[in-house]
Amino acid sequence: MNDAPTREEMMELVALYALGVLPRDQAALVAAFLAADDDARAEYHALRATADAIAVTAAEPVDSARSARMKERLSARIRADAASPAARRRIGPAAGWLWAAGLTAAASLLLAIISSVQVFTTQGQLAQANRRIGTLQTQVAQAQRTAQFERQERLMIGDLAAPDAKRYDVNDGIVVVRGDRLYLALSKLPPPPKGKVYQAWTLAKGAKAMQPSVTFAPNAEGVAVVALPVDASRLGAVALSVEPDGGSKAPTSKPTFVQPLS
Amino acid sequence: MDRIRARDVSAFEALYDGYHRLVFGIALRMLGDLGAAEDVTQTVFMKIWTAPEAFRGGSFTAWVSRVARNRALDVLRSRSLRPETELPAELPLDGGLDEDVFARIDAERVRDALATLPAEQRALIELGFFGGITHQELARRTETPLGTVKTRVRSGLRKLRDALGEGVSR
Repeated sequence: MNDAPTREEMMELVALYALGVLPRDQAALVAAFLAADDDARAEYHALRATADAIAVTAAEPVDSARSARMKERLSARIRADAASPAARRRIGPAAGWLWAAGLTAAASLLLAIISSVQVFTTQGQLAQANRRIGTLQTQVAQAQRTAQFERQERLMIGDLAAPDAKRYDVNDGIVVVRGDRLYLALSKLPPPPKGKVYQAWTLAKGAKAMQPSVTFAPNAEGVAVVALPVDASRLGAVALSVEPDGGSKAPTSKPTFVQPLS
Repeated sequence: MDRIRARDVSAFEALYDGYHRLVFGIALRMLGDLGAAEDVTQTVFMKIWTAPEAFRGGSFTAWVSRVARNRALDVLRSRSLRPETELPAELPLDGGLDEDVFARIDAERVRDALATLPAEQRALIELGFFGGITHQELARRTETPLGTVKTRVRSGLRKLRDALGEGVSR
């Protein structure tokens, strides 16, 4: 395991995160720190509020022609949408909006390409078009995965730093519950033995047997922040153990921790 | 926002009139391109119309600013040939300032507060906020050691918090 950053170094990373200049690959380290440190959370919220305030300095007059054109374009779309109740349902849930526009554009492009294929006359042109379609489909799938990951990441850090989250201290870190979401934010986890992984377990309220959940390994600094794919409001406890690579159906080692949830 | 949730077009247009300069300004500062800033503004307001439930309380100004920054960051990502890890994490959209606090923080007051910072701290904070870049990139562009960048950003934000006073000091 690499040397763990000092608390002062972590507080500097918190400030960088609050300003929005921390690379994504360090966000988990800050998330785990924030989840477990009350003072760090207080400073994070104050510095983030301070950084938010900087935005107001960007407001500036928009020239009247541009402003009118922008409003006209937007109003036309809004009024058309408002007149069509089905349109809103087609747009889908809030979480999907970020990439929905991109996917629609990509799909339109695909259709355009497919349409243009009809007028191709040679096998070579058809093969080239097919390759382009394949490339676009791959890019669309990649964009979907990236957008979903980013949404989960934003949600996770918001939850871990939230003042209203419930926190349970455990060995090597903290369990955080906010609403129906549950996270393990572990910051001093030793690497698992070769051929082993960490596995989370959940116990539903009233149940007698633990159910297997995700497997994971910490990063080089011993940090792992894991969102469990489970409705936390239905859980009575969460646990962690070391299991063979690939996970187990029932725990095969003494749990690292078993944490009841209130 | 309740009226927008109820599909009230005039309420939406009033919201647009009140906030488009801020959204456009953030996008323009980050992207340096009038056309791209206009597209970001359209996208942000379409999000508000199609998914008003995404705003879950707190300061609307702070929320819409973060949405604008994140959307501009998306554009920078799409333009960039750099690996993803060299771009900053997106900002969570909940939490932060309350609306009443934000109402007391006008642009002039923030500019005055920024002016109280040492130039080297102010430059890093403004470039970081509007640049859509990481602290490593900040260090490279300003030819400042990485450790110094970290220290100056934290110290500068804390001074700015103190200069802005009540509201962001909690």
